Amino acid sequence: MASHAAAASHGAVAGHDDGHVHHHHTTTGLDHRKIAIWAFIGSECMLFASLISTYLIYKGKSLVGPFPHTEYVDAAGKVFKPILDIPVTSASTFVLLMSSLAMVLALQAVQLKGQPLPAGAGWWTRAQRSSQLWLGVTALLGAMFLGFQAYEFTSFVREGLTLKTNLFGSTFFTLTGFHGAHVTVGVLWLMSLLWIDRTRGLTPKDELVVDICALYWHFVDVVWIAIFTLIYLIQ
Amino acid sequence: MATLATPTPAAVAGSDAKSGLWSWLATTDHKRIGTLYLWTALAFFLIGGLEAVMIRTQLARPNMGFVSAETYNQLFTMHGTTMVFLAVMPLSAAFFNFLIPLQIGARDVAFPRLNAFSYWVYLFGGILITLPILFQAAPDGGWFGYAPLSTPAYSGVAPGSSELKMNMDFWVAGLQVLGVSSLAAAFNFITTIINMRAPGMTLMRMPMFTWMSFVVQFLLILAFPPITVALVFLMMDRVFGTTFYQVAAGADPLLWQHLFWVFGHPEVYILILPAFGLVSEVLPTFSKKPLFGYNVMVYSGIMIGFLGFGVWAHHMFSVGMGAVADSIFSLMTMLIAIPTGVKIFNWIATMWSGEIRFTVPMKFAIALIAMFTIGGISGVMHSSPPADLQQTDTYFVVAHFHYVLFGGSIMGIFAGIYFYYPKITGRFLDERLGNAHFWLNFIGMNLTFFPMHFSGLLGMPRRIYTYDAGQGWDLFNLLATYGTYLLVVATAVFVWNFVRSRTRGAVAGGDPWHAATLEWSIPSPPPEYNFAKIPTIGSRYPLWDLKEPTWNADPSGHAVPSDPSDLQEETASHTAKALGIPMPYPTAKPLFTAIGLVVMFGGLLLFRDHHAVGLAILLTGAAMLIGGLYAWLTSPLE
Amino acid sequence: MLKLRLRQAAPVALVAMLLLTLSACGLTEYPNTTFHHNTEFNSAVDALFDRLVFWGTIVFVVVEVALVVTIIKFRKRPGGPAAKPIHGNAALEITWTVIPALILVLIAIPTVKTIFETQAEAPAGAIKVEVIGHQWWWEFRYPELGVVTANELYLPVGRTAAFELKTKDVLHSFWIPQMGGKRDLITNKTNHLWFTPSADLPSSAWNGFCAEYCGSSHANMKFRLYTVQPDEFESWARHQASPAVFSATPAPATPVIPAAQVTVADSAASVAAPTAGYAFPKDRLEAEFPHVIPQTPIPAGITFDDALLAGGDPVKGATEGFLLGGCIGCHAISGVPGAVSEIGPNLTHLASRHTIAGGLYRNDAPTLARWIKNARHLKPGSIMNTIGKGEYDPILKTTNTMGLDDRQIADVVAYLMALK
Repeated sequence: MASHAAAASHGAVAGHDDGHVHHHHTTTGLDHRKIAIWAFIGSECMLFASLISTYLIYKGKSLVGPFPHTEYVDAAGKVFKPILDIPVTSASTFVLLMSSLAMVLALQAVQLKGQPLPAGAGWWTRAQRSSQLWLGVTALLGAMFLGFQAYEFTSFVREGLTLKTNLFGSTFFTLTGFHGAHVTVGVLWLMSLLWIDRTRGLTPKDELVVDICALYWHFVDVVWIAIFTLIYLIQ
Repeated sequence: MATLATPTPAAVAGSDAKSGLWSWLATTDHKRIGTLYLWTALAFFLIGGLEAVMIRTQLARPNMGFVSAETYNQLFTMHGTTMVFLAVMPLSAAFFNFLIPLQIGARDVAFPRLNAFSYWVYLFGGILITLPILFQAAPDGGWFGYAPLSTPAYSGVAPGSSELKMNMDFWVAGLQVLGVSSLAAAFNFITTIINMRAPGMTLMRMPMFTWMSFVVQFLLILAFPPITVALVFLMMDRVFGTTFYQVAAGADPLLWQHLFWVFGHPEVYILILPAFGLVSEVLPTFSKKPLFGYNVMVYSGIMIGFLGFGVWAHHMFSVGMGAVADSIFSLMTMLIAIPTGVKIFNWIATMWSGEIRFTVPMKFAIALIAMFTIGGISGVMHSSPPADLQQTDTYFVVAHFHYVLFGGSIMGIFAGIYFYYPKITGRFLDERLGNAHFWLNFIGMNLTFFPMHFSGLLGMPRRIYTYDAGQGWDLFNLLATYGTYLLVVATAVFVWNFVRSRTRGAVAGGDPWHAATLEWSIPSPPPEYNFAKIPTIGSRYPLWDLKEPTWNADPSGHAVPSDPSDLQEETASHTAKALGIPMPYPTAKPLFTAIGLVVMFGGLLLFRDHHAVGLAILLTGAAMLIGGLYAWLTSPLE
Repeated sequence: MLKLRLRQAAPVALVAMLLLTLSACGLTEYPNTTFHHNTEFNSAVDALFDRLVFWGTIVFVVVEVALVVTIIKFRKRPGGPAAKPIHGNAALEITWTVIPALILVLIAIPTVKTIFETQAEAPAGAIKVEVIGHQWWWEFRYPELGVVTANELYLPVGRTAAFELKTKDVLHSFWIPQMGGKRDLITNKTNHLWFTPSADLPSSAWNGFCAEYCGSSHANMKFRLYTVQPDEFESWARHQASPAVFSATPAPATPVIPAAQVTVADSAASVAAPTAGYAFPKDRLEAEFPHVIPQTPIPAGITFDDALLAGGDPVKGATEGFLLGGCIGCHAISGVPGAVSEIGPNLTHLASRHTIAGGLYRNDAPTLARWIKNARHLKPGSIMNTIGKGEYDPILKTTNTMGLDDRQIADVVAYLMALK
């Protein structure tokens, strides 16, 4: 242990000029950023747990409609249909799930960079090697999800549900808005990676950077599964 | 994303500028950032103290007119907010910054620039929340900011007015900003402790301060999100008219209380565990003995942190949660007393059979044991809900948590300041002035807070700006006020000592106290790279292994003695450059980014009353934040 | 050495003081003590508290004595024994884990028992009282008796009072230290609390407080409790339930009163001659319960010509003042048509109360006059408008150009003071 550490610490001194952080000796052998992203995700769990709990605490407590799953008739006799559109949101959920799959393929593509293609590789094997393709697809699917959300939000507002309408409106828009903001950050992150890939090319040495983005992306995806189940599916 | 930067030519570490304003604005050195935290937090400690003096002056006698009701309410809100978020937490952060890398044998924290960012965000957040008091517009809803008092319906400039007072806006925005600072720092320290320990520094060989800090970082990352959510809701209610706490929309005010205390109770341990860590360094050193029951001390710290998340509703026994919930939270709270009691007994056992030197830090550490015990016992009294119903929201509770936070946290932090001042500055704090400070502080504290037990049990509610004559509280209030004035004298002595000793204190060597842990193996103050050679660690007390092998005769014989050649104190001063050690570049990008963040929140505050101006400022801040972050992430660290 | 002992002696002395105080809790110097056994609630709490203090004291003494002995015995001194490198002792550590755990069990069992006792349903036959918190005063309603009053609560001894706690605005907390623990008033929620003033209590007066921070005048949100004998309570309640008794004599409709208001003055005056109900006697308060008499000084800067009070005309006060001056916008007086607002305290039998303004001031003509003239000057943040003409309103930061002059206020005071 000691000799390994000494070697690594020597390496830190000698190898400081390559501009990368990989060479730093670390206790666990993992990069600092990998540890930090896990801590960050732990913290984010509490953030979404608080948001989701609030939604559930206020579920059914709104004094006026529109309501998520039931019809509401206001004092003037105006009828508000149950506002959640589960088929549409199921589609957007599917899109987000597929983006996670694309993210896995993007990471794999970065890991396989520079390795020769096996002889007689088909289109799929070749496609698998394109990190640009999969980063692009992930970002695109993420953007599509955001498009669904924008459609959902505007149609809710048209139907009479805003942030201010009732407890449901406040908790729903805030919770899903927070999630949407996370997806937006993820899409921007993916697009930055794509841009770097196009300009200087990602290599297997950059695996970690893509890996961290992937962890974040999968986390955001998992949170959506929780939101979709608890808010949309369970009445 | 730092790795994505274009590779740069061999970077020679460190800045050549060792002094001057720029060297501080652009520093990424954890020791300098720690020093900034220390000075800033002490300044806020004085401000919070001044607020306390005004509070106590108003309460010295019944029906006093020293300050108005509105001013008083701002004072007690700001006293609590300042002491919790701007003084005690950052004082702990000063020690996290300065000590954690030194104690684990690292050259810096994992993310030096993020560390600078945390400090600047703290500073600006502190200013944002404090400055309004000069304009009589400080937050006035209590440090707990209970809804619905903090909602728009009850924040009008006049009853029924739709124009809102801004007081609580500063609080809501300021606490969110401070949360960013705490979270960023916590991610940083978790990574540092997990990933930057010197070879041989296993988790169970870490110094106790680092261990307690480690627990605290987890509390921070898990406790701050709930209050952030609570604050976001409140801010949206105030700025965008959402309904989270709006009673007219059927909101449940207890939502705020639950979210607040899910944060608020772990926060108590965030405030106390670093102090526990500090005295766990001081007591063995001045008893010439290893810490008694190291493993149990670690486990009890973890246990306290863990249980700390299951007891929040004991702050809410009077809200009517029902007998079952009251019972569960009561029992959970009593459970916490067990690991806490173990710590007390283990500290005493650490001194038992030792050779106790009564230095100033040791006196503060012993005082922590004596005083925290009182706060702990009164804490058990509140854990019983029926008894708590007679105690909560009275001065008895005020007495309780001041014994915990003043008798515990502040005593521990002072122990830490006297203990580590020589390491930070290279000079001792004056022992005579230190003794005067200690005794004045000790007596002043008891005179201030002990009488509050009586006034509380004799029916005096908290947070009242005045009280009528003839209620049986006069004597206790007068004593408490005298005690506060004594604390003013004590603090003045301390400030004088602190400032004076920087240039005139006796010179301290690398290991002035004959302590056992790594930070004492290097010169005082430490060179920018900390360790010329990263040491290899063989036990919990490497310096004792080296210098005083009999002090740490580990009966189990498992510990491998540290390699003496690793721990030779540097005598000649070398620059990092000369030693070829890469150091982070100094950079003001974190400072710039922090300014962006605060400008953003400033814009958000203006948005309600001035949409266009507010939005413009908000976007400017966001642009600064994103631009600063981009420049920061795409430039190499070292 | 000496220093050490002194330092450790201080807390010990302070604990001795605590015990002294506990034993002195019957003394009148501490009128709001929590240590009385005036109700079964407080007896239960106090029994629990005694147990907590008992074990707390033992733990305190053990820890502090161990600490003092250790630092004296093992202080570094020439020729003293060398430090022993002891790393721990499993048996000892288990001992001081288990013993506190056992003590906690001894506390936990009665705790849970008391929780369930004090939070059980109120016993049958309890008198129901609705407590409604307002910034910054208390509304008390006895729905079974038809009584609505403010800031002064009457309860018969020997009968359980079951409170329903609600709030009109922010959170408050209902607390009478001598009767039992507090309970918060939570917006959009009804809380419950009950206790039984001991049957052998003589008729007595107690202080009550708001214990949850509720804004500017949180400190000024107080109330009084009078525990009285059952027949006294009956008399009080019967009288309070009756419409306003305008006992000023004579009260004919005068020509100055517009026709529309004649009926009002009539209705007030036409009530049968007052059968004065019970109110806690003022002289007994002064003699035995001085702590319930407010001593709040009237802030400087408000003037009123007290000579006008003697000549106040209650009929004009009722019509030109109360009805036309805007009072009915917020205040109800039972028996006066139109005066039904529940924003401010119900004034039906105002003159039977000993305090005004959330227990902040005495209820006498000079104070009432100043209160009406500029309530916000007398009580920070008060929602009650500034009525006095030419008065500066500290919240609106303007001078009131409308409103009533001193003579008109004297009339209103005369009217209100007639509402026995």
